[in-house]
Order: sequence, then structure tokens, then C-alpha cells
Amino acid sequence: MSRPDWIVLALTLLGTIAYGLYKGRTTKDLDGYFLSNRMVPWYMVLLGIMGTQASAVTFLSAPGQAYTDGMRFVQYYFGLPLAMVVLCISFVPVFHRLKVYTAYEYLEQRFDLKTRTLTSSLFLLQRALSTGISISAPSIILSSLLGWDIVWTNIFMGGLLIIYTVSGGAKAVAYTQQLQMIIIFGGLTIAGYLVVHRLPEGVGLTEILHIGGKAGKLNIITTGVRQGGGFDWSDRYNLLSGIIGGFFLALSYFGTDQSQVGRYLTARSLTESRLGLLMNGLVKVPMQFLILLLGVMVFAFYQYNHEPVFFNKSQVDLLAHSKYKDSLAIVNGKYENAENQRLNLMSMRSPGSAGSPSAIVDPSLLSQQTEALEKEKAGYKATIRRWLSDPSVGGESNDTNYIFLRFVTDYLPKGLVGLLIAVIFLAAWGSIAATLNSLASCIIVDFHKRYSKKTLPPHREYRLSQLYTFFWGIFCVGSALLVNNLGNSLIEAVNVLGSLFYGVILGIFLVAFYRPKVGGWPVFISAIVVEIGIVVLNILGRKGIVPLGFLWFNLIGAAGVVLLSEVLQGVMKKK
Amino acid sequence: MTANNSDEEKTPLFKSWSGWYRLVIGFLVVCIAVFYWLTKFFS
Repeated sequence: MSRPDWIVLALTLLGTIAYGLYKGRTTKDLDGYFLSNRMVPWYMVLLGIMGTQASAVTFLSAPGQAYTDGMRFVQYYFGLPLAMVVLCISFVPVFHRLKVYTAYEYLEQRFDLKTRTLTSSLFLLQRALSTGISISAPSIILSSLLGWDIVWTNIFMGGLLIIYTVSGGAKAVAYTQQLQMIIIFGGLTIAGYLVVHRLPEGVGLTEILHIGGKAGKLNIITTGVRQGGGFDWSDRYNLLSGIIGGFFLALSYFGTDQSQVGRYLTARSLTESRLGLLMNGLVKVPMQFLILLLGVMVFAFYQYNHEPVFFNKSQVDLLAHSKYKDSLAIVNGKYENAENQRLNLMSMRSPGSAGSPSAIVDPSLLSQQTEALEKEKAGYKATIRRWLSDPSVGGESNDTNYIFLRFVTDYLPKGLVGLLIAVIFLAAWGSIAATLNSLASCIIVDFHKRYSKKTLPPHREYRLSQLYTFFWGIFCVGSALLVNNLGNSLIEAVNVLGSLFYGVILGIFLVAFYRPKVGGWPVFISAIVVEIGIVVLNILGRKGIVPLGFLWFNLIGAAGVVLLSEVLQGVMKKK
Repeated sequence: MTANNSDEEKTPLFKSWSGWYRLVIGFLVVCIAVFYWLTKFFS
């Protein structure tokens, strides 16, 4: 990175911390620290919800995913607007009426203490594990691409935000998320503009869509039906899994995950909470579409510019020092030759080129030649991936998460690279800060205050909350440092880990809201049995015995708890 | 379970929250329809 990039990065990050510290001057009691005195307007609730959901990986991974797999990932969010409606009807009014700090407090009133403790524990376990990964995953990518030290990257990624989160609590989180989202959207908009700006003359958005469509990147809606017929249950992103699986995932995440519940409980009224959630239901799908479209834009860009054989430079360096170094040199040479030929052909095809296309060469012949070169390139890329997968090399064969950032560092002007790197940090901070605040609120409200026999004065509770927030911050950075060596598989782990727990937690809440005759013991036993079942199902899925996309775990977990608790309630009633 | 007494707060823009719910679901349907068209048109 150049000096202007470092300056922009440092100013953006320091400015955010200072803003968080300034705005986070809060009432020094639990209501102020965890709920911003319930004074937040709807638009800040909206930005808080979005900032908490969108981690650094979202912005790193989504464009790369569109580049490689197409835009079908957007279907993952189709269930979200429906979940927002159900939440506004059922969950949010109850949380507001009972004036709870955590969602799990309600479960004690509805069932009993053990169900509250179990659900809060499941949340803490899931969140504490996944937050470490949320810090580690973008740190690995940045350190790998920019040559930064991984330990320091982790500390900056997960550590600096502790300053304002500990100091200002929910209020600092809410205000910094507002600022962060503005910078993030601004950065991505500029990046999108520059991608189009750097394309050859005459190539605009319509041409980008045509290029993407021809290459199969505009597969926005997919049915999940196999070519030979029958639904593919292992297919992760399709219309059905997106609407049904995505609905249950979103309902569980926004309705029962304290990192989200804590955002809309800060609203100044029920109306403001509902508006924030419903606006999220309106903007989330188009927003995700645009982020994925950025990936298609980058794909179109590389049709006219040199595409690297592998986007993660550090892995190519790894191969250059392995037993494949000689073969790598040969493959690299052949790849460069094919890529140069392809770029020559593309320059003849581009609308504004001097050696105008169709007048000189038959366009269909050009297309055939280009396709042949693309196939040749794909062969070389596959060879590189195969070598990286060799256990003796120990490399990472998936470079999807490096595509966007490599484009940024290679092609964007000085200063803007720093801003885009800052976007990655801020996205991570927004998500992690909300999580630390929620982990601390659960520990103090659901455990410390609930089980302690002493009643503390408000200022002591406040200090203790700060201490717990600090503890969770250190815990998450520490766990991020421990899991660094697991590589990119971490990113997938974040998504799967959530689905292992969310379904069961949602099931408990669905029973609480919609099955009034079911008591504490049936739901408690059901939750434990179904959670074990989901973990077993995941293990069987990984071994290929039960092929099932992870989004379905949410549905199975929720439905399993509801049905089993009904059965157990019936059995217990008879006894 | 349904929304409780706090619902007495005035609903912005619409007469009731049902209007908002219809808007959110309707917009999702429109998005899916547009995406479907984009998928077919540019494939």
C-alpha cells in the first residue's frame, strides 16, 4: 500500500474510534449501556441491523462469489423480508411490552429458568465461536494479500473496536455503525463506478450484463431442479431453499440472536423498531443484488484486462517454493501466452477499438477463438488448484475471497485502496462490536444478575458490564489468533455454525409464541435432543451420507423442536 | 400471539401495519420477478 492509502486507512479507523468514544457518552447504568436508554430512531435501528449482519466477509466474499458462481447467492436473502413481517407481528411487540434486556429473559417468564439458561448458553456458545472466526477470516485474507503480519492484523481487526465498545456500550455501537455503513456504501459505490469507468469505451452496464449473462454469472434465479429431474437438496442457493430455509434462518437470526435483538430493543418505541426491521426487509435484497453485481462488473473488467492465473498471490508464491516450482513456471508461461492472445482478440471485439471488430474479422470466429482460449486458461487454473490441494504443499485452492480485493489493490487509484481496506475493517467492527455488546448483556443479565444473590448498585452493574465486554473482546481476539491456521475454510464455517444452532433456538421461541399449552420440560428436552440430531446430521452430511444444504438445518431444527415438544407434552400430560 | 397494546401508536404512511407488511412482501415479489426476467433475458 502507498503512503496516501495508509493515511486514508489510519484516518478512517481513528476517526471511527473517536466518533464512537464521543457519541458513546451514555447513562452509566444497564439501560444506557445495553439499550441506549431506548432512544434510537428507526433509521439508526436499520443501519445497526444491517451493520451487524454484514460482516467483513460479506463484502469480501460476495463479489468473488458472483465472479465464480454467479449471482444466485442473492436467493439466500429471499426469506428475510418475510421474516421481518413475522417478527413485527409476533416477536417485537412482546419484547417491547416486557421491556427485556435480552430475548432469553422472555423464555423464563414463558417457560422456566432452565430453558432461558439453555437458550442463552446456546447463543453464547455459537456467537463466541463464530466471532473469533469473523475476526480471523478477513484478517487471513488481508494479511495474505498485503503481506501484513497475521497477529497484528487480527489485533487491529478485533481489538481496536473494543476501545469504543467497552467505553460507550450500545450507544457507541449504534452511532459508529451509522458512520460505518455510510463509509462502506460510499466506498463500494466509488469502486463500482471505477470498474465501469475503466472498461473500454462503449462498454457500459448493458454490455456488462450481456457479458455476465453469456458466462452464466446472471443465474440470479435458480430452481434447484437437477437436469435429469428431481430437486437437489444439497444445492445451497436456489429459490426454494432461499425462501423457506432463508426465512427460518432470518427469523431465528433477527428474532432470537441477541446481537440483533439488542439493536432493535434500543429503539425509542415499538413503531421505530418495526420501521427499522421492515425497512431492512425492503432494502436488503436489492442491496445484496448490487454487491453481487459488483462481482459481475469485476468479471466483465477482467474480460478486457489481464486476469491473474490465481487471485491469491501468496499461494502462487507458495507453489514457487514447492516441488512444483519448475512446472509452475511452464504453466505460467502458457497461461500468459493464452491470456495475451485472448486480450488481443478482445481488443478487436471491443466497440470503441481502433481496429474495429466486425469490419476486419468475422465476430463468430473471434468468439470461437476466445472460448477456446478461455477453456485453455481454465485448464491451467485447475492445474494450479490441484497442486495447491496437494497435502505436501498445504495450500488453499479456493481464491474466491481474494478476487475483489486483488482488483482493488491492482487497479484502484492511491487513496481509494486505503478506503476500501478501511471498508473491510469497518464492516468487521460493526458486526463484532454489536456481538460483544450482546455477549456482555447475556452474561450479565441472564447469568450474573440472575444467579447472583447480591444486588449491585447501578454504577457497579455498569462497571461490571464494561468488564464483561472487555473480557469477550479479548476472548474473541484470542480465539481468532488460535484458529488462524485453519485457512479459508473458516469462512464457510461461520455460515454453517450459525445454522447448527439457530433452528433449535428458533424452535424454542416458536413454541413459546405459538404453542401456549407446551410447558418448560418438553421444550427443554426437545431442544437438547434436536440439537444433538442436527450436529449428527451435519457430520453425516460432511461424510456424504445425507447430502443436505446447511440452510435446511434451520427448518429441521425449528420444526423438530416444535413437533417433539408437542409429542412430549402429550406424553407427560397422560402420565 | 398477536401484537399487543403498544400497537395503539400511529402507523406511519399507512392506516395499519398490514399496509407495511403488504408493501414488503409485494416488493419482494417484484424483485424476484425482475431477477427472473434478468436471468432469462441475459442468459
